[in-house]
Amino acid sequence: MDVSKKIKILVVDDFATMRKVIRNLLKQSGYENITEAEDGVVAMNMLKSTKIDFVISDWNMPNMTGIELLKAVRSDNELGSMPFLMVTAESLKDNVVEAVKAGVSNYIVKPFTAEVLGEKIDKILENIK
Amino acid sequence: MSHDQLMNLIDSIASDFLFLEDQDVDIPTAGKFLNQLDAIIRGAEALKIEHLSCVARGLSRLLEKKILDEVKDTETAFATFEKGITIMQEIDRSSGKGGYQGADISGFMESLVCLIGAAPVLEAQGGMVETSAAPDNESNVELENKVEIQDESLLRDFIVEGLEYINEIEVNILNLEQDPGNKDCVNSIFRPFHSIKGVASFLNLENIRALAHDLESLLDKVRNNELSVTAQVIDIILDGADALKAMIGRVRDRMEGRAEATLEIDLPALEQRIRFAQQGKYEQSEPKKIGAILVEDGLISEDALEASLELTKKAPDIKIGEALIAEGKVTPRQVSQALRKQMSQVVDVTSIRVDTRKLDDLIDMIGELVITQSMVRQSPIVLSNMDRKFFRDISQLSSITSELQRTSTSLRMIPIKQTFQRMSRLVRDLSRSAGKSVNVVTEGEDTEIDRNMVEEIYNPLVHLIRNAVDHGIEAPEERTKAGKGETGTIQMKAYHKGGNILIEISDDGKGLSKEKILNKAINNGTVASAAGLSDQDIYRFILLPGLSTAEKITDVSGRGVGMDVVKQAVDKLRGKIEINSRYGFGTTFVTSFPLTLAIIDGMIVRVGREKYIVPTTAIRRLLRPNKEYYNTVIGRGEVINVMGKLLPLVRLHDLFDIEPDCRNPWEATIVVVDGENGAKCLLVDEILGQEEVVIKGLSESLRHVKGVSGGAILGDGNIGLILDPEGLFELSELQGFGGNGEKKN
Repeated sequence: MDVSKKIKILVVDDFATMRKVIRNLLKQSGYENITEAEDGVVAMNMLKSTKIDFVISDWNMPNMTGIELLKAVRSDNELGSMPFLMVTAESLKDNVVEAVKAGVSNYIVKPFTAEVLGEKIDKILENIK
Repeated sequence: MSHDQLMNLIDSIASDFLFLEDQDVDIPTAGKFLNQLDAIIRGAEALKIEHLSCVARGLSRLLEKKILDEVKDTETAFATFEKGITIMQEIDRSSGKGGYQGADISGFMESLVCLIGAAPVLEAQGGMVETSAAPDNESNVELENKVEIQDESLLRDFIVEGLEYINEIEVNILNLEQDPGNKDCVNSIFRPFHSIKGVASFLNLENIRALAHDLESLLDKVRNNELSVTAQVIDIILDGADALKAMIGRVRDRMEGRAEATLEIDLPALEQRIRFAQQGKYEQSEPKKIGAILVEDGLISEDALEASLELTKKAPDIKIGEALIAEGKVTPRQVSQALRKQMSQVVDVTSIRVDTRKLDDLIDMIGELVITQSMVRQSPIVLSNMDRKFFRDISQLSSITSELQRTSTSLRMIPIKQTFQRMSRLVRDLSRSAGKSVNVVTEGEDTEIDRNMVEEIYNPLVHLIRNAVDHGIEAPEERTKAGKGETGTIQMKAYHKGGNILIEISDDGKGLSKEKILNKAINNGTVASAAGLSDQDIYRFILLPGLSTAEKITDVSGRGVGMDVVKQAVDKLRGKIEINSRYGFGTTFVTSFPLTLAIIDGMIVRVGREKYIVPTTAIRRLLRPNKEYYNTVIGRGEVINVMGKLLPLVRLHDLFDIEPDCRNPWEATIVVVDGENGAKCLLVDEILGQEEVVIKGLSESLRHVKGVSGGAILGDGNIGLILDPEGLFELSELQGFGGNGEKKN
């Protein structure tokens, strides 16, 4: 089995059903090691306390939004290079550009298929190597 | 920023670009470039190198397009980008030496515009990137089927969580209504819609997705201060939330294999409203159409409306109302009423919510203020004061306080509309289960009534409506046989009369049969014969407990269930009930209630040194009889001949054990008071005047004292008891038996 499939992915979304959707899609792409957080604050705590290899985060969340999480991750000394995939609804151009400027690894537009999700993840991981 | 720094920036972007692998810009690199370009744009603007900022902005836009995957020809884009960087370097270098004059720039900009579709010098339009709808949908369908088949539990989760989220929206929107500027509030409503939309798009619930999306964009405008939170926006969002709830409910039905509940929401209309609202327009969609109002009022059928609408389409300058009148489907009066209704919908009354307890306290306090004011006014010191200005001020004070009282009581007044709507619904439900077809017509929906009364009158009215549907309106076959239309009509009508609200409930059913009621009453021993009984008197028998609870009464009068209960409830509210009927044509119940339970209009009467208040509604006339009109009849006691009728005399001073000024009726004053079983004469010393008094309830231990229903503080500061005629009559009948009655107890 592909080693890259063993990475630990953190899915951040306030909507539990959405987390489940993404989890299912990830499983279809062969990723099994998945953990969840319901907002940016929780995610940030998890990132600091456990070893996470990859973050998939929704944009719109209470307490700490996706873009705030991204900025916090990028400005953190240890997490600075964390692969970060942003999930957005429609291509809200301003949002996407803002995320890209803030250093997002890639973005994905809802709704997406397992294939597209897998491709995006592969691409990000490839660039890191 | 110095010129050197700018040059460094451009050089670094150039070298970064040079080291790019495989001719492609990935997202993180693009982000880095974008930030570098931003810095270049800022620097160029600061140094006023226009060509440079223009090119940099163009490149920035090109990158954005690339990020959004909108660039089709990546190779050309890549080459253009490379060229752009070179040009920037050239501009920058030459700007130090007196400016760069190159035809190259315009050539380059043209090729750039070809790629990005718009001139970069124009300010960014921002906003949503339009995605073409058609291919999108296709991929959705594909996706959806996949998800649906593969994971039903997802759908189940969505239903539960989605409904939870919508409930959250409803709570938050009420907060928003109170604090329209609160961005957190807007966000907390925006987010659930957003989340629902996201998941719905995965689950291929296209309708839900689209509606959530529309609502989300509306809220986005609110969030960006492009739209302010108005009552209309709130309404639309609430309606939207309702619609989503219903739609999710349907998904659940479908999943559980039940028949889907029909969606009673006009989705396209809602979407239209949302779209209008986004542009800040409401009026177009808010008021109901005249035709719709007429259909709702049951004046025309929907088919008739459709037909006429078709006609008006052919002749656009004819209004629907005119067309309907021309066809004779409605009267001009009905149309004008509908127009008025439509107008009242447009008028937006701003309102705030207030705790009713606070309101009651306020009204109480104002009541006290009015009393205190009148005590001051009647104080001897004030009355003996001859200062004109002081006098003027005092009358000013009293006019303000009475205005204040009027306003305060109107605070608690609400239109009877809601009650009528509940009734209409009841009729619909009842008639459907009874297999009858019944139309409801309402009139005077805007008639106002005390909020506290609304709940009190509800039960008796429900009883009347129930009776009208169950026993009044006949089954369709029977109606046809009687030569009436299959559909029966129940009319509810409200209006003010005196200090009362009158509510009429009429049906065009079979009506009451006088003979049968009378027979029953005679069999029952209620009356000996029909002699001297008016139609009214006979109809009133159905209000008696003995007659109405009997099972047979249903056959006899067609009015069975608990009419005595209605009577009791109406009595409790100091109301009255009247019955009119025509056998074969229908029955009308006219109920009359005081507008409020808090105030009563009364005559102040004096007996000895005591003052009492007699409710004005109960008084039939005031008189001082001639001596010869006073008689004593064996078995009935003292009577007074009033307009040829012998009415029993009730001596208040006897009942309450007071020493009166006069004992002879021809020297005193007689108040003829209506009671359920005929009128009686109250003997009092004097009438002091008429006054509206605020009712103060008696304490719990005194509640059952007969003959007195409450107390009030009179204008002079003294307390007067409010008399309850029925109770007085009972009391007098007890005392009429003299010692016997007492011994019995």
